[in-house]
Amino acid sequence: MNSVQRFTQAYNQAPWRKQLQLIGLFLLVLIMGALVAGIYLSVTARASTIGRGIQDMRSDMEKIERDIEDLETELAFILSNTHMQNRAIELGFRPAEPGEAVYVVVPGYTKPEVVSLAQSSGPAIHHSAPALPADYTQSLFDWLRERVFEPAAPLIRER
Amino acid sequence: MMELEQSWRYTTLGILFSALAAFVVLQMVRIQTSPQAEVFRSQGEVYAGNWRTVKPARGQIYDRLGNLLAGNITVYEVGVELAFVENPSTIALALNAVTDADYEDVFAAASRKPSSNAVFAVLANNVTEEQKLRLEQFTEEMNLAYGESKDESRPSLAGLVFTPQLQRSYPEKDLGSNILGFVNREGKGFFGIEEKFDELLAGESKTVWVPRDPNRVEELPQVPPGASLILTIDRAIQSEVEDILDAAIEENGAEAGTIVVLDPRNGDILAMATTPRLDLNEYWRYGEVFQGSTPFNRAVSKSYEPGSVFKVLTMASALDSDAVNQNTPFLDTGSIEVGGTVIRNWDSGAWGPQDMLGCMQHSLNVCLAWVAKQVGANTFYNYMQEFGMGHLTGIELAGENPGRLKRPGDADWYEADLGTNAFGQGIAVTPVQMVMAISAVANDGKMVTPRILRAIIDNGRQYNTSPQIAGMPISDDTAHELTEMLATSLEVESSIALVEGYRVAGKTGTAEIPTPFGYTSNETHASFVGWGPVDDPRFLVYVWLEKPTSSPWGSVVAAPVFRQVVERLVVLLDLPPDKIRKRLLEGQ
Repeated sequence: MNSVQRFTQAYNQAPWRKQLQLIGLFLLVLIMGALVAGIYLSVTARASTIGRGIQDMRSDMEKIERDIEDLETELAFILSNTHMQNRAIELGFRPAEPGEAVYVVVPGYTKPEVVSLAQSSGPAIHHSAPALPADYTQSLFDWLRERVFEPAAPLIRER
Repeated sequence: MMELEQSWRYTTLGILFSALAAFVVLQMVRIQTSPQAEVFRSQGEVYAGNWRTVKPARGQIYDRLGNLLAGNITVYEVGVELAFVENPSTIALALNAVTDADYEDVFAAASRKPSSNAVFAVLANNVTEEQKLRLEQFTEEMNLAYGESKDESRPSLAGLVFTPQLQRSYPEKDLGSNILGFVNREGKGFFGIEEKFDELLAGESKTVWVPRDPNRVEELPQVPPGASLILTIDRAIQSEVEDILDAAIEENGAEAGTIVVLDPRNGDILAMATTPRLDLNEYWRYGEVFQGSTPFNRAVSKSYEPGSVFKVLTMASALDSDAVNQNTPFLDTGSIEVGGTVIRNWDSGAWGPQDMLGCMQHSLNVCLAWVAKQVGANTFYNYMQEFGMGHLTGIELAGENPGRLKRPGDADWYEADLGTNAFGQGIAVTPVQMVMAISAVANDGKMVTPRILRAIIDNGRQYNTSPQIAGMPISDDTAHELTEMLATSLEVESSIALVEGYRVAGKTGTAEIPTPFGYTSNETHASFVGWGPVDDPRFLVYVWLEKPTSSPWGSVVAAPVFRQVVERLVVLLDLPPDKIRKRLLEGQ
């Protein structure tokens, strides 16, 4: 028996060992596949939940906007001229006659020409929704690519 | 031998499973690429989401002090999902009882068989929150009472769907209704501010695809609300003026009336009251309230022959062109011929020697026709053009009428028109035109464009409008001289237009109403225009009562209305009596 044969024999594996390796490799691929599928399912499920949450929040936002309009109008009804006049009369007030008013000069006071209901100078306020963070729009593939090419990127973005 | 047999079996099984897998894959590919696949995909798309129009909230309207005049409230569209309807009769009964909807219409709509073309039916609109709650309560009670029943004819409101939407609401009801206008069910503005600024108030709608799949959720475009408007109107003054107008119409048996209050310094319309008025929350009663050709806002839409209030403009042109001065003598013989037409005074009398003050004080038609002749036709009409007669004023209200000013050269102008136009007959003007023209006399010769819009709030910023000078038809000296003449004439006459403590200038007007056969009617238009305080005018008030029956004369009918308005104005505008004001100014 020459040295080559001895070396080959020494490192030749038993058949059961080869089978075990094949099974191990198969199981590894299976586990990896299951892992990827699991992560994908988890991310998709989270994205769906968050998407549904966004839909709910949007609906809530519309309701709140309608509620604000309702309340403003309701308040205006309560403070309407007729209501306020009636309340004043009920409280014992009556309209002042020209001769009854007392006029005093208040130094520094200037009657405003028109009511100010919004900011009259400075940059305009643009109503635009904040952009959705990448966490909610990024696919798993995008995430993996980011991890590969930008390993320094933080795993969790702080907002 | 045994191993070979097993190997053959394994190979056969492997081939079978592989063939099965290949068949499944092939079948999947075939289904995906078959012509029917496109049909199924398009059917799926129908349920994948819906096109939705995102409508912004309509902008609000405020008075000059920030009181809300027009806002929005939530109402509901009640519809039914046809596939879920169990008893159309119950639905029709409930809607009829709660919303007054027609039973037959609702029953027919709710009874439709669901199909690919009929999924949903609208049953009622503008359902209030209270009505919606009652319907929901009915649904709940029916479910409790009959929910377990297997009877197919059991009462049920199943299938009802409530869709919220915003609708215009007017907290002040009919206050300033002629200025505001209204918005119909479809969201379109009619008349007044609502029509004039419809696009601005409505904002821009956007139609977007909204997927049902939460994984496909995307950002909806943010639709900013429509712009809000701040008007020059003062709610308290508007209310007082409307009350005074209504009382004057009733007291004098007038057919209708108009009062306009303007700040002559900047053209701000502080109040604009006309009749009839409409509770804007019940805009569908428009046809009932405004019958025939009744204009929505007489102050801007109805032109008329103003009568003697027009003499203010005639005298202004004469003084400014130096055709006459305050002391120019005139011998009133009771008649004058202009272009072949004999003109007489209001009382058909001869008033003898007069000066220009006397002519205005006694409102002599003969004298003013003579004055117009002294000015000359071309110059007179040039002045009238400068005063804006026959042109739109540019006020920000829908439906403005330009009136009519015939001029030399027009086919229907005759020389006699110069004489009649001099005292406000044969010419058509709107109250707002008169207010603008006379603002030149009250504002040192500077004529201001009447404005109703004080500011626009858009995208979180307030843009204030600036006063606009429409022209300077007369000099400041002429304006002061004429104001002084008209103040003196009121004082000498002891007019009932005078307001204690405040010096005001003004002029009455009584105009015969033309018929197809000439001035044959006994009906008149009674007017009064006045402003004050004379040394620093803060208000200009125009009163017009149509066809009063208590008296035909403006001096009797319209002058006291002016006084009542001013008595309220000075309180609401914080205007001290002249003496106190001067003392306070001296003390500063």
